[in-house]
Amino acid sequence: MKVSRRDLLLGTAGLTAGIFFTPVPWKVLDDVSVWTQNWPWIPQPARGPVTTKLAACTLCASGCRMRVRMAAGFPVGVSGSATHPLTKGALCPLGFAAHQLNWHPARLHAVRHHGHAVSWDEARAAFEKAYSEGPVGIVDGHSGRAASTVLQSFVAKHNGNYEVVLNPEEKSLLPYAQWSGVPVNSLGYDLENARTIVSFSAPLLDGWGIPGRFTHLWAERAAGQPDPQLRLIQIEPKLSRTASGAWRWIPICQGSGELLAAALAKILIEERLVSGQSPAPPASLTDAATQTGLTAAAIRELAYAIVERRPTLCISDGESPAIAALNLLLGAVGTPGGILPKSVHPFAMPPASANGKSLRAVLIDSSVPWEYVPPASTEVFRFAAWDGGGNRSDWLLPSPGYLEESTDLPTPPTSAVATYAIAPSLLAPSAETKTAAQFLLQIDPTLSDVDQTIRARCQEIFRARRGTVHTEKPAPVTSFESAAKFEEALRAGAVWLDEPRTVSPLRCSLKEWPGNCGRRAPADWVDLWEPPVLPPLAAKLYQESSLRETPQRSQS
Amino acid sequence: MSARYGMVIDLDRCTGCGACMVACAAENNVPPLPPRATDRTGLTPMLVHKVNNGVEGAGRREAFIPIACMHCANETPCVSVCPQQAVEVDKATGIVMQIPQRCLGCRYCMTACPYHARYFNWWDPSWPPGMEKTLNPGVATRMRGVVEKCNLCHARLHTAMEKAAAAGKKEIDMADYVPACVEACPTNAIQFGDLANSEDAASQAAHSPDAFRLLARLGTEPKIYYKSRQAWVRALAERSPNGHPTEAQHV
Repeated sequence: MKVSRRDLLLGTAGLTAGIFFTPVPWKVLDDVSVWTQNWPWIPQPARGPVTTKLAACTLCASGCRMRVRMAAGFPVGVSGSATHPLTKGALCPLGFAAHQLNWHPARLHAVRHHGHAVSWDEARAAFEKAYSEGPVGIVDGHSGRAASTVLQSFVAKHNGNYEVVLNPEEKSLLPYAQWSGVPVNSLGYDLENARTIVSFSAPLLDGWGIPGRFTHLWAERAAGQPDPQLRLIQIEPKLSRTASGAWRWIPICQGSGELLAAALAKILIEERLVSGQSPAPPASLTDAATQTGLTAAAIRELAYAIVERRPTLCISDGESPAIAALNLLLGAVGTPGGILPKSVHPFAMPPASANGKSLRAVLIDSSVPWEYVPPASTEVFRFAAWDGGGNRSDWLLPSPGYLEESTDLPTPPTSAVATYAIAPSLLAPSAETKTAAQFLLQIDPTLSDVDQTIRARCQEIFRARRGTVHTEKPAPVTSFESAAKFEEALRAGAVWLDEPRTVSPLRCSLKEWPGNCGRRAPADWVDLWEPPVLPPLAAKLYQESSLRETPQRSQS
Repeated sequence: MSARYGMVIDLDRCTGCGACMVACAAENNVPPLPPRATDRTGLTPMLVHKVNNGVEGAGRREAFIPIACMHCANETPCVSVCPQQAVEVDKATGIVMQIPQRCLGCRYCMTACPYHARYFNWWDPSWPPGMEKTLNPGVATRMRGVVEKCNLCHARLHTAMEKAAAAGKKEIDMADYVPACVEACPTNAIQFGDLANSEDAASQAAHSPDAFRLLARLGTEPKIYYKSRQAWVRALAERSPNGHPTEAQHV
C-alpha cells in the first residue's frame, strides 16, 4: 500500500485531534502541574507521628501554657490551653510563631567576644578574673525562678550586686510596695472583682499583664455592651486598641495623667464622693483643665463616673505615685477589686536594685530585655539566645533557645493569686549553649542546683496542701499521693494555683500627696516586643498589614 | 455529609491583636516573605483591617475587621472566572477550595473577588536554614506563581474526618475541626460551625439581629458573617474594605 503525502498529513491531523479524546494530554498537564509545584529546592514538611505536648511560653514572665504539636521531634504548631486558670487559652500573637525562633538567623551558636568567636573556657576565665578584681553585678529579668536563686546566691557569696529589671506592669505597683513595705512581686491586681477600671494609658487590651486575663474579662463583661458589667475608662492621648474597646475614651494631652489623677482626687474629697483617707492634692481644677485639654465640667463628670460603680481600680502605664494615691483614696488598696498582696508566696524575692557599688563587671541573664543598658565602664557578659544587634556587650554568651530550657515559672506579674508551673524542655539544647545559672554553677559548684531548688519548692507547696492543680481538670493538691507525683504533674504541664487570700492586710501610709504631678513621659510599650528578635511570621503584623509599628530591632 | 461551614466574627470583641493572622500563617506553612512584601503582595489568608467611624476627636471610634475568603455560596465569583478549574466549591462542606496544582497564576480570581481576600504567591517559599523542620506536616508548601487564600484549614477537616472514620462515624465531631484563627482568638470573637445546622451556635449567631455580611447586596451568599452592636460598624458592610480611605481605612 502506497502512503501518499496526503495520507500522512491526514493521519497526523487525525492523531493530533484524536489524542485530545484520550487521557494522555490531561495526565501530562496534571503531572507537569504537580512537578512544577515540587521543585527540589522547595522545602517539604517533615513526616512523622504527630503528638501534642503541654509546654509553657517563656517569651515573657507570664508563662502562658500552650499545647505544642510535635512532628518528627520538632514543634510544628502551637495553640493555647483553655484550662489554664489565668490565660484561659489565650496566647499573644508572638507565641503562635515562637516555635520557629530557634532557627532565626540571629540565633547565637558560639561565645563571642567583641564579635569574635571564642570558647566558653575563655569566657569563664574572663569572668573569674573580673570578680576576683572587684564586685560584679548580676541582672535578672524574671526574678523568683529557681535559676534566680543561683544568681542571687552567687552575688551574696562574692559580695556582688543583684539587680532585677522590672517591666512596666511591675513598675505600676512600685508605689504600693514603697508605702506598704510589701515586695513589689508580692502585689497584684484583682481585676476579676473590679467593676470599673480606669486605665491611664495602660494597654490593657494590648498585651498588658498576662495575655488573655484581662482580654477574657473584657470580652465577657464589657465588649460591645452599652452598659457593661465591667466599665473600662481609658484615659489616653491617642485612640489605642484599648481606647477603641473602652466603655469611655477620655483623650488628654500627653503626660498629663498624673495631674488629672490629682484633680480627680481633689473633686472626690471636696464633694465627699469617697470615704477613703488620702492627703489632699495641691492641684487646682483650672490647672488640670489647662494641662489635660479637658474642661473642668468634663473632669468633674469623670470623677462622678469613676465612683458610680465600685469597686474602682486605677491602673497606670508605669510607676505613677499620683495614680496610686488615687487608688488609695478610692479604697482600692488591700480590698477585693483592687491591689492585693498575693496569697502565700514562698518564692517572692525582694527585687534589689543597683546599690551604688562600683562594679567591675555585669552578668546579664537571658531573661533581661535587650534594651537594658548596663552601667558604663563595666565589662558586660550578656547571656542571650539571639543576637539583638548593637554593641552593648563585651561577651555574648549563647543560652538555650525557645522550648530548650526547663525552668520553673513563679507567679506572673499582676496576678493577685500565687501560681507555680514548670516549663518543660521539648527540644534538646545545643551543646554550645548554657544558662547563666549553669555558667555560675561551673564556676562555683557549691551553689544550689536549679533542679534541686525546683524539687524543694514542689515539696514546700505540697506540704502546705493548699490550692489546686490545673491540668485538663482541676484537682486539689491534697489529691496527690506525694510531692514527687505533684512535681511530676507540674513537669507534665500542670499549673498550681493557690487559694485566693480572704484577708488582705495591706497597709499603705501616705502623709502627703505625691509630688511631681507635672507632665511625665509615657512608658515605653515597645517593650511588649520582648525578645531581641521576633518570630519571622510576626512580620505579618507590621509589614504585610499595619496592625503594629515596625519594631526598631534588627530583623536580620 | 452535607455541611455549610462558616464563621461568625463578633467585631465588638476583636481587639486587632493579629493572633489570627500569625496562627493562620503558621498553620498553613506560609513562609516569611522578603522585607519588600506589603499588604497586597504579602500572603495573609486572614488579614485584619482597621476601620473608623469617620468622626474626629473624642467621638472617634475604631474597629477591626478580620477578612478572609468569604466562601461565597452563590455564583462564587472566583469559581466562575477561573480558566483552569483551580477553584471549586466543595458541595459536601461549602468550602471554596483553591487547587494550586491547577492554578495558572492568571489572577482573574483576584480581580473577581469583591473582598480582596486572595493573594498571589510572588516568591518561592523559603525559610531560614533549619526552620523548615517546623512546617506543619498536614499542609503542603506551595510554589510561587499561584493564588492563595483561606481554605478554612482544610487539613484540620481531613484530620477530623480521619478520626471520625477510625471511630466508625460518618459525621465529624465539630470539636475536632477548629480552624487555626478560631483557636487563636484570645477573646473568642470568632465562632466557627456548620451554618446549615440550626442547633449549631455559629448558625444561631448568624441569625442574630446584629449579624451581617459584607457586600451582601452582591448576592454571593458569603459564609463569613460579622456581628456588631454598633450601627456605624454594621453600616460599613456595604463598603469595600479598600474603598474610600476616610470611610474604611485599610491599614
